[in-house]
Amino acid sequence: MVISRRALLATGAATVVVAAGLGGAALGHRLDDLARNVGIEPHKEPDPADDRLIARVAADQNTLLAQVEALAVKHAKLGLSPFVAISTAHAKAVGVPAVVPDIAAPPANRAKAVDALVAAYSAASKARAADSVKAASPALARVLASMSAGLAQCARGVGELR
Amino acid sequence: MTSTETLQDWLALEHEAVWLYPVIGARFGALAERARTSYDDHGTVRDGLLARLHQLRVEPVPPALSYDVVRVRNKARALAAARQLERDIAAVCLRLAGDSTGDLRTYATRGLRRAALAELTWGGRPDAFPGLP
Repeated sequence: MVISRRALLATGAATVVVAAGLGGAALGHRLDDLARNVGIEPHKEPDPADDRLIARVAADQNTLLAQVEALAVKHAKLGLSPFVAISTAHAKAVGVPAVVPDIAAPPANRAKAVDALVAAYSAASKARAADSVKAASPALARVLASMSAGLAQCARGVGELR
Repeated sequence: MTSTETLQDWLALEHEAVWLYPVIGARFGALAERARTSYDDHGTVRDGLLARLHQLRVEPVPPALSYDVVRVRNKARALAAARQLERDIAAVCLRLAGDSTGDLRTYATRGLRRAALAELTWGGRPDAFPGLP
């Protein structure tokens, strides 16, 4: 049995939409749009703990996306566009908040900037792996486990830019 | 599909990896060191899976009688074969992550991460969602 990317991410998005409906106001109407785009209906009885988990993951991943984007602009020669694309995909999978998170300015020194991004990806990878084990929904567990592996790949990929 | 069946699918792929990497290392000197490391890593995972299945009192699947040698007839194809095998392992680990809970899910998530990184070792590029087709 092969699990399709579209089906799995759609299931994750359904849970996020319900989280927004239950009071995750920061997630906003864009999540409804995301659900419509993948042709799904919100899950009728989501696990409240999963809703909270997704809201936290969405905040984390969008902060990471903001860090990668800021660093990609400041150090354009690093060629970080593939990593921006991956972080964008991660953020979209769990929901994009209405407000762009505040982040510290990226280091001016190239080596320190790379080190900071490697550390951020590594920390996010470990966090998503731990989150996967906490998830009640098997579909959410898979999305988070896969995301963790993708983040580990990013950590290594960015590290090779040193 | 039960988690035990998924563990068996994973083991079958690890048997294949333990066959594949020595072949790659023997045929292509430039890849020998990488192949040795991969062989050691997959041997360790295979042994861990065998132990888990024995604990479950399940007869582990044996290695296949033969594998497709043609796919490693040149260096480019050998690299592609290694990447594909790591992607297949990532996919089965992802399935197991959803079929299981607790310790077994942690084990599957680690396996998925290891396979995703191994794919890079063999020339793959970072992907947002390893394990998903």
